[in-house]
Amino acid sequence: MKESATHETARRYGMVIDLDKCTGCGACMVSCYAENNVPFKKDESNKLDSINWIRVVKMTNQKPYPDTQICYLPMPCMQCDGVGKHGHSPCVSVCPAVATDYDFTTGIVSQIYTRCFGCRYCMAACPYHARKFNWWDPVWPADMEKYLSPNVSPRMRGVVEKCSFCFHRYQLARDKAYQEERAELEENEYQPACVEACPVKAMTFGDLNNPAHAVYELKNHKHAFRLLERLETNPKVYYISSKEWVRRNGDNYLPDEAPGRLKSKAKARH
Amino acid sequence: MKIDRRKFLAGFSACVGGGAVGSMLSPLPWKVMDDVAIWTQNWPWTPVPQDGRYSYVQSVCALCPGGCGISVRKVKSRAVKIEGLKDHPAGNGGLCPLGLSGLQYLYGPARVKSPLKRVGKRGEGKWQPISWDAAISEVSQKLNELRARNKPHSLAWISGENKGILAGLIDRFLKVYGSPNVLRDSTAHDAIDQAAYHTQGQRGTVFWDIENADFILSFGAGLMDGGWPLARMNGFPKSADGGKTLIQVEARLSDTAAKADLWVAANPGTEGVLALGIAHVMIRELIYNIDFINRQASGFEDGVMGGDQVLQGFKSMVLEKYKPEKVSGITGVPVDAIFDIARRFAKSDKAVAVCGRGHGRVAGCMDEALAVHYLNALKGNIHQPGGVFVVADPDYVRFPEPGMDKIAEYGLGQTRVDGAQSEKFPNSRYLLHRLPEIINTADGDSPVQALLVSGANPLYTIPDGKSVKKSFDKIPFIASFSPFMDETAVYSDVILPDHTYLECYRDIVSQGSMDGIVVSLAKPVVRPLYNTSHLGDVIIQIAKALGGYIETAFAWKSYESLLEETFADNWETITSSGYIRMNPQIPGTVATSFNTPSKKFEFNINAGAPEAPFSSAFEKIAMEGDAQNYPLTLIPYDSIRLAGNYPANPPFMTKIIDDTVLKKTHGCIEINPATAKQLRLSEGDAVKLSTPRGEADVQIHLYEGVMPGVIALPRGLGHTAYSEEWGLYGKGVNVNDLMGPIEDPVSGFNMAWGIRAKLTKI
Amino acid sequence: METPLIPPGVKRCPTWQFALWMAAVGAVLLWGVYAMILVWWKGLNQTNMNDAYGFALWIWADLAVIALGGGAFFTGFLTYIIGKDKLKGIINYAVIIGFICYSSALLILAIDIGQPLRGWFIFWHANVHSMLTEVAFCLSCYFGVLTIEFIPLILENPRLAAKPFLHHLSHNMHEIMAVFAATGVFLSFFHQGSLGGVAGVLFGRPFAYREGIFIWPWTFFLFTWSAAACGPCFTILVTWITEKITGKKLVQQDVIGLLAKIAGWMLITYIIAKSIDTLYWALVTAPGMGFTLMDFYTDHPIYNIGILFAEIVLCGFLPALILITRRGRENGFLLILSVLLAVLGCSINRWVMVLQVMAVPVFSFESWFLYSPSWQEVATTILPVAYGVILISLAHRYLPVFPQEKELNPAN
Repeated sequence: MKESATHETARRYGMVIDLDKCTGCGACMVSCYAENNVPFKKDESNKLDSINWIRVVKMTNQKPYPDTQICYLPMPCMQCDGVGKHGHSPCVSVCPAVATDYDFTTGIVSQIYTRCFGCRYCMAACPYHARKFNWWDPVWPADMEKYLSPNVSPRMRGVVEKCSFCFHRYQLARDKAYQEERAELEENEYQPACVEACPVKAMTFGDLNNPAHAVYELKNHKHAFRLLERLETNPKVYYISSKEWVRRNGDNYLPDEAPGRLKSKAKARH
Repeated sequence: MKIDRRKFLAGFSACVGGGAVGSMLSPLPWKVMDDVAIWTQNWPWTPVPQDGRYSYVQSVCALCPGGCGISVRKVKSRAVKIEGLKDHPAGNGGLCPLGLSGLQYLYGPARVKSPLKRVGKRGEGKWQPISWDAAISEVSQKLNELRARNKPHSLAWISGENKGILAGLIDRFLKVYGSPNVLRDSTAHDAIDQAAYHTQGQRGTVFWDIENADFILSFGAGLMDGGWPLARMNGFPKSADGGKTLIQVEARLSDTAAKADLWVAANPGTEGVLALGIAHVMIRELIYNIDFINRQASGFEDGVMGGDQVLQGFKSMVLEKYKPEKVSGITGVPVDAIFDIARRFAKSDKAVAVCGRGHGRVAGCMDEALAVHYLNALKGNIHQPGGVFVVADPDYVRFPEPGMDKIAEYGLGQTRVDGAQSEKFPNSRYLLHRLPEIINTADGDSPVQALLVSGANPLYTIPDGKSVKKSFDKIPFIASFSPFMDETAVYSDVILPDHTYLECYRDIVSQGSMDGIVVSLAKPVVRPLYNTSHLGDVIIQIAKALGGYIETAFAWKSYESLLEETFADNWETITSSGYIRMNPQIPGTVATSFNTPSKKFEFNINAGAPEAPFSSAFEKIAMEGDAQNYPLTLIPYDSIRLAGNYPANPPFMTKIIDDTVLKKTHGCIEINPATAKQLRLSEGDAVKLSTPRGEADVQIHLYEGVMPGVIALPRGLGHTAYSEEWGLYGKGVNVNDLMGPIEDPVSGFNMAWGIRAKLTKI
Repeated sequence: METPLIPPGVKRCPTWQFALWMAAVGAVLLWGVYAMILVWWKGLNQTNMNDAYGFALWIWADLAVIALGGGAFFTGFLTYIIGKDKLKGIINYAVIIGFICYSSALLILAIDIGQPLRGWFIFWHANVHSMLTEVAFCLSCYFGVLTIEFIPLILENPRLAAKPFLHHLSHNMHEIMAVFAATGVFLSFFHQGSLGGVAGVLFGRPFAYREGIFIWPWTFFLFTWSAAACGPCFTILVTWITEKITGKKLVQQDVIGLLAKIAGWMLITYIIAKSIDTLYWALVTAPGMGFTLMDFYTDHPIYNIGILFAEIVLCGFLPALILITRRGRENGFLLILSVLLAVLGCSINRWVMVLQVMAVPVFSFESWFLYSPSWQEVATTILPVAYGVILISLAHRYLPVFPQEKELNPAN
């Protein structure tokens, strides 16, 4: 883990997903597959061996017909800052070979496929199931290898992969900025494929530390929350929902507790 | 020293041991270890995509009628990603998962790579690649033979191309050939367009101005389930930054219902009755648009017909027959809710009522379409921003009138094989779903002797799969133009594969908006990968081979030259900006636009008369099967994650299907836990699903969001073709195999919304 | 005349009988090897593991054998450091069992990782923050130590001992064994602890996470402690099984009694500490994350609250209380019952800390993740057992494992 001079990073890229807007169409998932060369198998119905960098989880409020409600929850890698935002995300701190690392300049948790030797400790550590293992050799039938993007290397069997917030897009944008002798990126210069693909604009992406970026305000929305905040993983993906049951599903509460009223350690340090 | 075996072994072991220890001290093992690791990082069977110059091609998606703009990222000659095209009027930069998966069709294993001739039995999948010349002569010989037998009208063409140049070419081809039988699948739009015709006298396409509306009352339309470009739903549903109101009437909690402000769980098949109940409240409480109704509607009040016969008007009919209490009884929607919906609808600034179940794959019931259209009239939103428009179809496809020979004239004089445009169904253009029964019940030879299929997969999409297959068996010659090995292609005699939309030029007509209908130009993103040929060119070639008037009618050099010629002055614009707009709407031009005898909006509610389709006895749309043997109601549903029609779901989309919809090869049937409990079924149980039309094995999925007594099955599964690698082969159930069509008495359209069913535990 | 292969003064079964026995166990071994090769060749898709079960059956086996192999380090500690000379009667066997356990553990790890050919990255690109790095280093080093401890015993085979060089090598190695024992104890303390740390540091997994001291969660100490308590129990159990199979008394009862007594006291202190830890976790740590104790248990046949009772009371307090009482220890049946229970308890603990960690849903909208191993997993998990049986059989036949054997079986 690279140490930084200050623990506060220059940029902390993050996402705010408006669950009231999300229709669960899955465009984010498909856009991600295409962008990041995510393979597919003949049978993808076992969701526990299906590689997805972002999953859209269907939640219901468990009430009987016709009071039933559905909410879709898109879950990319949460790019956790870890306890006290020191970059010790659940996964980074456990990887024995530094195959996953926290980048202090962006706050993005990387995954180095050629370094990973497939011990899967990071998967055990991640409560969000954001990490996926390549149980099989990836295969692209017919001429499908032709659509593979050179921006992201296809992963070999036996390694773990996960969402990178389309880090290659950040690199491309940054390189372009350097060429144009700019130090800062415009908000729209770097957007992950899922965010760009969302047809209802439910996802907003930017630097959580930058007041000029939309996410800066959005993350403080009265209905904003993060998943499993009480575990102090400090995710950089925020959600907004006007529905109380949805917000409650985002974390675990004792019977006498309720979201919002709770002042957890995580909140205090946040 | 004598070296015996023991000594030799000892010495040998010492050498080996010493060697081993020695080599550990050398760089060799470490180097090997490192090299092996490097090898694992570069396994030759894990592809490394080639880098190169990037470019972007702007084009348009042709996978559904939406016609959203796409931007295709290329690396050298390879297309690597499809994204939404910002600032394109259709889609507005957004794309659905199907559009995003487009490259999987292009490069995927389901492509037909050259013209093929069947060598085995039909459907056996044994093919012989043939040349294009041979393929064209296969078709032209057959077609010549039919003309020689004076049976040109026994040629039918099932076409997915509905508007634009290709559709024009197909229509023209059949005309000069001498067959009236161009067949197309009818969608909900056909019923809605016909409703508009009945009331407004206008031929054209209805569009609902969703963008400018602030309140949508949707009777089952899958606005967010993929029936519509999702980007058009911006603002619906409500969210942190405000938004517009959506009320969804549907028996099942769909994704649209989930996003609605209010989900109204009406009994399936009674949506139209609910619309009339709402109309009742609006009329009773005088909250309808009185100005519009008084000035621009006829048939609202009771009228005198001549003599002393009183013609009941819409108002008194609705007040009399659709009292909220009664409507509540039929629909299951509480009386309060009916009042509430009516008031909210009436009082909203720009409210619009829409219909068409799910993706609108089934044309539906005329009464229902009319009931919903009447609601819009009561709201007075006809040709108003945020309301309903009837747009004339774009008329840029104008070919010179062709000359015709005697055989063609004879053939054209025959009635259509499907009964559309007949005395019985004068206003319906196509009734494809009637075809199988007509062929199956015909005396002697099949009325269809040769069938051409393009842009459609009738063997999968027409209801009652068994009878469809039976009817296809009776057709002596079937040719498919599909670029994919779909069910119909598999069952044909010769395949003349078309390019995909990413390999050629093609004009795409999108749904309309206030700014007019968008006609976009699909461009060749990549050069054709395989030995395929543009359908337009193939038609020209076949015409050439047939000779005579037919050849003369298709004197174009190629499809591309025809395309350029057709757009004429617009060619510049459409090639540079990718689209042109036609027929923009001017709001408020109501009075001049109605083309009825009264020049008003006509509430025609008197059954019997051909121009008056509305049946005042309308209660619930009919359903096949008896409640005794089939206690449950099966409804198909559409999902944005399942391409329900043509072509079949690509692997990326199949990958995002929930495991509560498809588990391994088992399709899951949604059932309310309460119903399941009565039937002693629990999650994951394997059951046999039977309907009067067929049966299938499915797996139970308990879902609170489906009405008790109702079971729901998704459209788009149960494919038996494409390639096994496509990942959809033999998975789930094709709901079309379990349902038959039900004929709407007025339009002849298929109005089946469900079928009686039962579940038996296996 | 050639020096015999079998140590003098002891009786061994006829070669044909031994060969038959080896063939039977060898068949099981081959089955395991076949599964192992399948997994290496075709990849981990041969298992029923999935993204929710990144760690499964054989990681449990791995942790369990390491804990039970802990008899080696703890007996070594008692013998060489504390100076309980009496235990020399069983130390050889403890070392062999430890050797088997640790070599199995390393083999399992090599099968378990997705890229075995890159496994050495754990050393080369080591992340010092990871408990697994600590495990890998200490485990490998301690395996080296165990090998060194095992070698002199091998050299005591009569035919090898006949060679003066090997004889002296063996003798000299014995001399410095205390140094290795001390090193082993140190390394074991850390890797046993680190294995506990593997689960305990998972702050994203409320079922596993434990608070702790400095960088070490309480599970770190509990794992070491339980290995020290249950490892000797396993040694006693295996010795008893060996005695039953060979039909001979191999170790004097007072040696067993002493080891059992020490193990009993370790176990009772461990289980008290474990209970305190469990209480603190159930009452403070987990509720702080929004979980009640019963959120971690369900009506599943394995993952019900009974598993906690089994681990702590049935397989914890009960055997501990038997072992610390003289009458309990001296009753042959109770002794074996209690070491068996202790071994079970330790295995349950490792199971819970691996598999139940994966099974418990972290989100309220998730359901329990359940899994059953594929035959390849079962075979590769049984493989070390077969390998262990073979190694023990060979060692017993050809090496003077039990110094007291001759004197206990004078008739021969």
